[in-house]
Amino acid sequence: MPHQERRFNPYTENGGTILAIAGEDFTVIAGDTRQSEGYNIQTRYAPKVFRLTDKAVLAVNGFAADGNMFVQKVQQRLEWYAHAHNKPMPLKAIARLIQTMLYAKRFFPYYVYNILGGIEEDGSGAVYSFDPVGSYEREACRAAGAAQSLVQPFLDNQIYFKNQLPPPGGAHPRHLPLNDVLSLVIDSFTGATERHIEVGDGLEIYIVLAPNKSSVELERLPGVKRIQGTFDIAGDASPDVTAAAAAVGVTGEKMFVMRRELKKD
Amino acid sequence: MSIMEYNGGSVVAMVGKNCVAIASDLRLGNQALTIATNFEKVFPVTDRIMLGMAGLASDVLTLRDRFRLLVNMYTIKEEREIEPETFAHLVSSTLYEKRFGPYFIEPIIAGLSKGSNKPFIASTDVIGCINFAKGFVVCGTATDKLFGVAESLWEPDLEPEDLFETISQTLMNAVDRDAFSGWGVVVHVITPEKAFTRYLRARMD
Amino acid sequence: MSLSNGAILPATLASGTVKKVIEINKFLLGTMAGGAADCQYWETYLGIQCRLHELRNRERISVAAASKYLSNLVYSYKGMGLSMGTMICGWDKTGPALFYVDSDGTRLKGDLFSVGSGSTFAYGVLDQGYHWDLSDEDAQELGRRSIYAAGHRDAFSGNTINLYHVREAGWEFIGNYDVTKMHYDGPGDVPGAPVGGYGYDVRIKTV
Repeated sequence: MPHQERRFNPYTENGGTILAIAGEDFTVIAGDTRQSEGYNIQTRYAPKVFRLTDKAVLAVNGFAADGNMFVQKVQQRLEWYAHAHNKPMPLKAIARLIQTMLYAKRFFPYYVYNILGGIEEDGSGAVYSFDPVGSYEREACRAAGAAQSLVQPFLDNQIYFKNQLPPPGGAHPRHLPLNDVLSLVIDSFTGATERHIEVGDGLEIYIVLAPNKSSVELERLPGVKRIQGTFDIAGDASPDVTAAAAAVGVTGEKMFVMRRELKKD
Repeated sequence: MSIMEYNGGSVVAMVGKNCVAIASDLRLGNQALTIATNFEKVFPVTDRIMLGMAGLASDVLTLRDRFRLLVNMYTIKEEREIEPETFAHLVSSTLYEKRFGPYFIEPIIAGLSKGSNKPFIASTDVIGCINFAKGFVVCGTATDKLFGVAESLWEPDLEPEDLFETISQTLMNAVDRDAFSGWGVVVHVITPEKAFTRYLRARMD
Repeated sequence: MSLSNGAILPATLASGTVKKVIEINKFLLGTMAGGAADCQYWETYLGIQCRLHELRNRERISVAAASKYLSNLVYSYKGMGLSMGTMICGWDKTGPALFYVDSDGTRLKGDLFSVGSGSTFAYGVLDQGYHWDLSDEDAQELGRRSIYAAGHRDAFSGNTINLYHVREAGWEFIGNYDVTKMHYDGPGDVPGAPVGGYGYDVRIKTV
């Protein structure tokens, strides 16, 4: 009889899918809310998308225990930064922070794929995607998780217009309007829910708007809720209040969350 | 590595309004090495039925010849053309004959039935379990990606040209995210009046 | 790959758009193969150490020293699972220099290297076209053509090619080329490139 080695496996795969798309002056970060282990659904509502600052949102997917712990540690580092510098950390700095935090555990990794979305200091929408040990890249759109292989080629086609001819004499648009992006996100998840057993139950979409972007249209949509942040300045603030806020890095980004039901079977 | 991924390749078929489409990539690989970019995986069975196969390339060729023989025998015996649904069962039983040492291919059947021109598509697993899907069927190394794109792009009752666009976009965008499929795409559309074949300018990497 | 009047550094992009050439500083480039995070992290770290060397010694670090720093660093992690195959390329007092460094601890100086899953395909083109005396344009074209071959034949290489040229004044980004576009139409209006696509079927006009 050959010797059988038994070893503790510290990792689990908890399913689900996350997705982020950057627009010209907004970013959309979404995730489903099902959490499963094998064929067993542990809960139908476990958030995978988290607010970090007024202009940054982090989506985590993979091993839920590692993911939740990682988000807490990032949030702690961001709070320390805010206290030390009296301003929120810029998005590109958060991206580099996440790289170093992930690589610090290179030899016992966080078993998670991270997608960071938000507004850059120049007011543009941005998405950063990471592998579990910290390799990262700024992109316009990215899907990760159980249904990445189902969703990403659809996004290539609809966001990057891959394999599509531009209109005669024209070019493909570099950025899509918010309403189109929201429709694509919802279509992606309903499609993935249909064909993947680990995706479903609920959909949570975070929307971050650049300072000058109007939110009137967005707030008319059903199931959209504004999220007030700690560094938030009121929409009707006087010019000198706005200027003072801008001096400490508070520039008036607006954040919303939109919730949709997905099939539960 | 799995034998089903040894040569690479993918096939998809879709139903439209009084028409069907079936398409494949053109890669023949030896694991990561691309050997040829003109290896078709869809073959005519009758004027209105086509058979696509993804999996081990040698079995694709073997079964192509075997099904030609079987369909010829059927035509002679019955003195009529085989119907798509009958052919699907012929494929199924041929594969199940090798239940304990299967051919390493997954077939897809697409066609129009003789009398009613009713569109028909089906796929089976390696041992012949038939899947009579309503909208689309997929197989090969890009299966996941094909499901994802097709689920979002396909809709019922597409006209032949719209069906052509839908199946083309589905296959091209799926294989572009699959290392083992691609290097050219061929699409066949069958309507009651005519059938046409188009080779697409696809990614070559 | 390097040559007497300059050094060319071609690289493929696999995961779509990942930058496989890491700009360590104005005079140093590093390539990525193997673990993406390992290469990205340690080559960024190498950039920091090169800058510190500059501040401490009022002089730019040599390519030999920079590559040896990286080589010694990855060697200290030997057996722990780091995976890197990299080329460190640049210009220093001695002229152009190219080193191959990998996570086993191998460090080689040379005129010509190719690393990664498609390296054998690139070597095929590279070896038949290489000469120590290549002009800038011909060298760039050889680099482009080599990576095209890898992008076409290797399942894990492709998408686009980034081409850099290293000269005395530092590296210069030459361009980004789509492999499929090169197959059908060629790299475009580029010095040293032939008219028309590189693809066999395209060249003999069967498509």
